[in-house]
Amino acid sequence: MKQPLAPYAFIAPAMILLLVFGVLPILVALPVSLTDMNLAGLADWSRIEFAGVANFRELVADDAFWQALTNTGIFALLGVPTVIAVSFAAALLLHRSENRFFRALRAFYFAPAITAIVAVSLVWGYLLNTRFGLVNHLLSTVGLPPARWLGDPVLVKFSVALVAVWRGTGLNIIIFLAALKTIPREYLEAAELDGASGARKIVSIVIPLLRFAFLFVAVTTVIAWLQFFDEPFVLTKGGPLGESTSISLFLYQEGFSAGRFGYAAAGTLVLFLIIAGVTLVQLRGRRFDADR
Amino acid sequence: MRRPGLALAALLLAACSLVLAACSGTAPAGGTPGELTVWIMGDSSARFEQLVRPFVDRTGIRVDPVPVPWDSVDQKFTTAVASGDGPDALQIGLSKLRTFADSGALLTLDDRTLREHPGLAAANFLDGVSPGGDPVSVPWVADTRVLFYRRDILTGQGLDEPPRTWDEVRAYARILAGRGGGGYGFHIPQWDSALPVIMTWTMGGRIVDDAGRVDFDTPEFHRAADLYLGFHADRSVPADPDFDQIQGFVSGATPMLVSGPYLAGEVASAAPELDGKWSVAPIPGDATHTSLLAGSNLGVWRSSGNRDAALRLLDYLSQPRTQLTWYELDGQLPTAKAALNDPELTADPLVSVYARQLRDARPLPPVPNWDGETGKALLDALNSVVLTGANRDTALQGLYAATGGTSVN
Amino acid sequence: MRIVSSRRLTAAIGAALGAGALVTAFPFLWMISGSVKPRSESAAYPPRLLPEAPTFENFAQLFGRLDFGRYLVNTLVVVLISMAGVVLMAMAGYGFAKFRFRGRGPMFFLVLATMMVPVQVTMIPTYLLLNGMRLTNTLVGVAIPGLVSGFGVFLFRQFMSAVPTEMIEAARLDGAGEARIFWRIVLPLSRPILAVQIVLTFIGAWNSFLWPLIVADDDRLYTLSVGVSLLNRQIATSPSLQMAGATLMVVPILIVFIVFQRHIVQGFTLSGLR
Repeated sequence: MKQPLAPYAFIAPAMILLLVFGVLPILVALPVSLTDMNLAGLADWSRIEFAGVANFRELVADDAFWQALTNTGIFALLGVPTVIAVSFAAALLLHRSENRFFRALRAFYFAPAITAIVAVSLVWGYLLNTRFGLVNHLLSTVGLPPARWLGDPVLVKFSVALVAVWRGTGLNIIIFLAALKTIPREYLEAAELDGASGARKIVSIVIPLLRFAFLFVAVTTVIAWLQFFDEPFVLTKGGPLGESTSISLFLYQEGFSAGRFGYAAAGTLVLFLIIAGVTLVQLRGRRFDADR
Repeated sequence: MRRPGLALAALLLAACSLVLAACSGTAPAGGTPGELTVWIMGDSSARFEQLVRPFVDRTGIRVDPVPVPWDSVDQKFTTAVASGDGPDALQIGLSKLRTFADSGALLTLDDRTLREHPGLAAANFLDGVSPGGDPVSVPWVADTRVLFYRRDILTGQGLDEPPRTWDEVRAYARILAGRGGGGYGFHIPQWDSALPVIMTWTMGGRIVDDAGRVDFDTPEFHRAADLYLGFHADRSVPADPDFDQIQGFVSGATPMLVSGPYLAGEVASAAPELDGKWSVAPIPGDATHTSLLAGSNLGVWRSSGNRDAALRLLDYLSQPRTQLTWYELDGQLPTAKAALNDPELTADPLVSVYARQLRDARPLPPVPNWDGETGKALLDALNSVVLTGANRDTALQGLYAATGGTSVN
Repeated sequence: MRIVSSRRLTAAIGAALGAGALVTAFPFLWMISGSVKPRSESAAYPPRLLPEAPTFENFAQLFGRLDFGRYLVNTLVVVLISMAGVVLMAMAGYGFAKFRFRGRGPMFFLVLATMMVPVQVTMIPTYLLLNGMRLTNTLVGVAIPGLVSGFGVFLFRQFMSAVPTEMIEAARLDGAGEARIFWRIVLPLSRPILAVQIVLTFIGAWNSFLWPLIVADDDRLYTLSVGVSLLNRQIATSPSLQMAGATLMVVPILIVFIVFQRHIVQGFTLSGLR
């Protein structure tokens, strides 16, 4: 409190950028969602007409919107627990030792996270191809029938989610590993002397100590999956039959492919409110305390 | 106090960024006098530079081609429309033409504008497409669909001539699929909304009625749908949505398919050993042999400061000679009739088939957003029967409902 | 006895992790092998892991026909500019973690809210802004929309909350200015999270696709991601060329990561943070 301006000086540059590039656009979306803005309207603002809540009404009646919303829900239910469980398990195992081998292994687990989807989608597309893909070829060598990984309306959700899990765990492994490092090894060794079994040790000591890491990973992972876009966009374009179209992809198609910006803005606001709602529920009662 | 220090640090950072940016060199913006910015789709921009070199040398107008990825053209175009700052000229895929025309961002190419450029007159080209009123673009490269077949495999089954009607294709496909070993007879790509439309045309039907409205509820389309679904019912086509055309053809799994000239190039480079074992034939048909006219047009940005130079470039690009050179460089077929008749082109037996087919080819109806709406509804209706066993009639009713209000006007 | 069994367990875990690592890394191996396959082999079935006649022709094409050399340089410049964002985010994280001031709650809420905004909606407004600021067609314009992320500020704030307040107070009593405290005490103590953020920023900037594409009026400012997507033709694509492009994108970042990884690990070990 002695230097009342200091905190503002610290946060100002980042805040300004965030306000301009993060908050302003969603504020712009609000008025746009009440208009019929399309590509022509974007070029010449006098051609935009006020549409009231017509966009929202149409959204509620749009089967494709509900399909995308349902798909997103399924993706999140598949992806979030898997990402959290896999990254925690991998981090725990990687934490086991500090030797060269284990350190080298880390790079392998982090690698998928650092690669661009543009690049890896190609590879996955070839691997998962029904007729000519390597995965089905391997299945056939052990006598299993080929699966339509990216072509079956049900299976496609799992395949697309699988690629996203593959890409999504690396960062969370880093976070969990960082958090695990903060638990003094003596705690664990002491517990071992007490005869605590591996599983009990994890449940009773490690997980409570990693409360914050878990919450952080959960919140960011949920947000990421509700905004799920990259994998379906590049792997399936939302197909087959729209069964892998996520809500973000739907909004992209309405906004950029169909040029219906008013409609897409309305959908975006709905998505934003859903994300905000889910996040607030997660955070409720579990405050991110700043001064522990 | 030390707050200024902090501010200084921030300033320094900003300065560093600016210096970096300056070092990296800000490129001249579009609209620089004497330099034309031209959007070229895909990875052909280096070859395009080669193509326009004589033009640059002759006129002193520099040309700066900017490659735009096919997948991202919507984003690029939309943001350019939003700001009003676009290229001087641009390549427009035919499927995007209606959307681009409706935006009002393109220069209207009426007779008065084209007076100085007789080379751009519509009569010089294949029947192009000009949605809603005056044209905003001129044809540039042409693409069509023909029947590709593996002569070696067909002959092996006693099928010496390529099929001419859809009934023959279906019969051939059944025979070829009977080879066993995971082989099929034909390939229907589930992402290709043009194929069911071509099938309708060749049954003698249309997709758009006299009033310009999309209408799928016609006897010809019903027959086309039965044909499409019939191949699947016969199990003579793969039902995987991600079946690869090139691998299918090269491996012999699908010895017949309908595709564009690009496939010939891909097959030639992927499987040079198959040279001479495959060929192309006109689109099969019962009433007509009408195929798809696809490809790209060229347009001029309305607010371009280099309008005249841009029109001169378009004029140059529309010359039969230029278009023939472009075929040599990039393998894309001309749209100028004179170029399509050129013996240099038609000496190649494959190309002579394409050129003949192009004379009997039509563009998809210029509805807004064909790929995202009408075409998608069409594919979803047919493929839902294939993939999920949905009822044919219900699926088609859904299609009529989804596309009923769509018009080309 | 106990030690032996513990060692055995470690070895077993190591083996399991090694197997997992192979599976995880397999798509990369496939990609690299695909990038040196000639076009004729890329369509072969059954697929072969290793090329019979490896070739570098695909890479030659990328640099010859396409301007991949320039895209590489642009990508590196974008990465460099983006590093400025790390410092800005660290400053903001520190501000939120260690000061109490008016508007702190609502402002931090805004930071969190930016994480929830779908990217698609920001595209057009941001472009118009950049256009208004005359930043289109510059590499700064390419980098600036992603310079600061709510996620990063959040992460910094969380970790910096654990920096002992007594140390900061002691420094203040010694007469150190706020900027000095930040540079000399807080930042060094935040080394682990700083390392993580640098890597994250590197990844983000290296892979940046959307803004280079939209902001550039010219391919002189394109990055590698855009270059790779140029290879996607509307229908036909050459898998070998695409794999080569993908390899070019992935391998350098893998190398950077493997080199930096030791520093991250050191950072972790040095940290007393929770």
